[in-house]
Amino acid sequence: MSVKEHIKSYFHIAEIKFCELYLDADFLIPKSQAFIARINKMPFFGELFVSDLLKKPVLDPKGEELGRVRDIVMVRGEPFPKVSALIIEKKKKLFNLPWNDLNIFNKRIISATVYHDFLHSYNYNETDLLIVRDIFDKQIVDANGAKVVRVNDVKLEGFDSEAILIAVDVGMRGIMRRLGVERGGEDMMRLFRKHLPYNLISWNYIQPLEPKLTKISLTVPRQMVSELHPADIAEIISQVSHKEGASFFKGLDVETAAEALSELEPDVQAAIITGMDTNSAADIIEEMPPDNAADVLSDLPVDKAKEILEQIDKDEAEDIQELLSHEEDTAGGLMTNEFIAYPPDLLVRDAIERFRKDAEEVEAVYYLYVTDSDEKIMGVISLRDLLLAPPDSKLSDIMKTKLKMVSPATDEIEVAEIVSKYNLVAIPVVDSEGYMLGIVTIDDIVDRILPPLAKRKRRKV
Amino acid sequence: MSVWRRFALFLSIMGPGIITANIDNDASGITTYSVIGARFGYTLLWTLIPTTVALIVIQEMVARMGAVTGKGLSDLIRENYGVRSTFYMMTILFIANFGTTVANFAGWAASMEILGFSKYLMAPLGAVFIWFLVVRGSYRFVERILLVACLLYFGYVLSGLMSKPNWAEVFSATFVPQIQWKAEYMILSIAIIGTTITPWMQFYLQSSIAEKGIKKEEYKASRLDVIIGCSITDIVSFFIIVTCATTIFPLGLRINEASEAALALRPLAGDYAFLIFAVCLANASLLGAIIVPLATSYYICEAMGWERGVNKTFIEAPQFMSIYTFMIFIAVIVILIPDAPLVFLMVLSSVLNGMLLPFVLIYALSLVNNRNLMGEYVNPKVYNIISWATICSIAVLAVLFLITFLLPMEI
Repeated sequence: MSVKEHIKSYFHIAEIKFCELYLDADFLIPKSQAFIARINKMPFFGELFVSDLLKKPVLDPKGEELGRVRDIVMVRGEPFPKVSALIIEKKKKLFNLPWNDLNIFNKRIISATVYHDFLHSYNYNETDLLIVRDIFDKQIVDANGAKVVRVNDVKLEGFDSEAILIAVDVGMRGIMRRLGVERGGEDMMRLFRKHLPYNLISWNYIQPLEPKLTKISLTVPRQMVSELHPADIAEIISQVSHKEGASFFKGLDVETAAEALSELEPDVQAAIITGMDTNSAADIIEEMPPDNAADVLSDLPVDKAKEILEQIDKDEAEDIQELLSHEEDTAGGLMTNEFIAYPPDLLVRDAIERFRKDAEEVEAVYYLYVTDSDEKIMGVISLRDLLLAPPDSKLSDIMKTKLKMVSPATDEIEVAEIVSKYNLVAIPVVDSEGYMLGIVTIDDIVDRILPPLAKRKRRKV
Repeated sequence: MSVWRRFALFLSIMGPGIITANIDNDASGITTYSVIGARFGYTLLWTLIPTTVALIVIQEMVARMGAVTGKGLSDLIRENYGVRSTFYMMTILFIANFGTTVANFAGWAASMEILGFSKYLMAPLGAVFIWFLVVRGSYRFVERILLVACLLYFGYVLSGLMSKPNWAEVFSATFVPQIQWKAEYMILSIAIIGTTITPWMQFYLQSSIAEKGIKKEEYKASRLDVIIGCSITDIVSFFIIVTCATTIFPLGLRINEASEAALALRPLAGDYAFLIFAVCLANASLLGAIIVPLATSYYICEAMGWERGVNKTFIEAPQFMSIYTFMIFIAVIVILIPDAPLVFLMVLSSVLNGMLLPFVLIYALSLVNNRNLMGEYVNPKVYNIISWATICSIAVLAVLFLITFLLPMEI
């Protein structure tokens, strides 16, 4: 059973219990002792918005005012975070009213089973998690819609004997409710024959940006965030402050992190990597294709880049170092030195067999290059030609020898022109003696000419 | 290509402080300085020094906040003071900035008229150009245009030097304060503060610092950037006043607008001075008209949590695109109405800006002194004293403005 279904079934049970109690309440009130015991355990039915509760008076059993609601303390619960206490204010003093001391809890009446003398005073501290202080008005990531939103309101719902946080309101309705004009807004919209939509995001789609809030977030969104497209993750990171971006980034698994990092803008990349400890930074850099890794490292302070390179697997580090020696806007700066090259007398059948293994590690696999024993380039075979060729022929029989190539010093615009003119997916970079140094792939060229959205500053004016 | 790039890189290191401060000298700023020079000669030059100090202190504070928290001012106000304060502030900011946009389009139209183009043609063209530049253009391109346009401000320095002022008099007026007890003199001297320190700048500067990802370790460079930027702005203001004071003031000509100043310069200082004034006014107005609507839509959407970004469509980011488009196109329509009360609208917008500014600064000041946010980077005592003095004088300015606005005096 998936986690989603799991949560759904939870709610189903809750609904049944809810109906039972509802019947109890309607018909059995005078007699049932059991009911009183149950209502003590369950002061909260239905659902409500936190902004409707704020500043509401809390009454003691005699109907005297204990104080007014200032904030709500949340703790981790299964599957959703739950209310553990109310913070109430009386005569400028704050008191803590535990959830279990509540009797009735809805948007009209909140009453407690205790008197003022039993209340403990409350001081704000950093470890508690408060709805108004820590969740209201903060930015969060909506993992379902892949965007950053701001919390306008929080929705609680009754579940067993607890009040749980099920959703946040990120819409216009939430803003109006906070301003106290929700009904007015509804009437206005009715004039235009439109309905004021609810814009709620279920808590299980939410990924908080504050490290503190992650304590009560579910494990589901972590997976959901990893399923997002790296470009979406990059856009989310570019929309929040660098601190929040870094903490969000640290929550990603290495593979996703590596992909997302390549999509980010150079200064953001540098800021994030500089803020990480060398080991985890090295893990992520190692996961990236060498050309992207070199791009990231070239924007770091020299010492930091060196430290990271020392942590990386030796072969990989050498590849990266070689790439770092080229100017950024030339073929050398664009190229990657991961490509597939086989000797000319290999049979097609064996080549396909080897290709299956090698292609796993290499990003660009659309061409096979044929090189002699000195690593000098001889020809190229497209993946299509390889698959269609008779299995017993040699690579040298099917390779194309008139191939287009560039030198590492070729300007990036020129590289783009050649690739576009001959409709290539990748082009080999060859030094003056014919040694193959690497390839430039079309996606890197497109990125350079037309940077992805997250790489453009959103407001660089 | 690579020279061009290196040049752009150099300018981008100079950064947000300089761009913000330069764009601060928009149409209404230039108008104020021209009028001051033409009516009072050099006598108000000394006010530039305290104004520069206040500007530097406030901009530095906001820049520090951007570097330490990594967030914009509207984000911080929303996160620390809730929906209500944010909503009202954003509503007034929207109205005030709409007024500023109208003022900038009016400046653009006026400068085009004196250069011999019809405003009925050039104002809509300008609006369409701006809209397309931002919505359809690439950011790198916009940024380059802005940076080059900032250089044009030095035209004013040139025209100041060309007008051959009496330097001895200029310097004594700059460093020796002299006060005339006339209502007009008082109002114009506070108008200098009002036009130099504006609410939208605070939001704009803090966001661009946060945006650039400047960290607290690099913040010293940022402070230098702010100080240089603020000084350049006031040097430009200085030369505008000097030009008008040297040429127009001795003849006792009364001018009310920056374009009138340009026209008056023609017979007095020659065609070049006229051309510089007219082109610089057009440039400054257009820059203001690009930045102010864009910045406003960003802050409002950021604070409210709406989808934003110029690369989004109307369907993806309806609020953002509507606010941005509304500000530009309605502003143009307003100035195209024949006999529209443009001066009245400009005064109204500066009144609103003036009234909003103390609130923005009080919020900024309480945020910058919040240890939870700023850690060891809270304000030093001297800064708080200077900031409070500025807030008080601006509050007085706002009240005075309101009085002159409600009871029209002869100015």
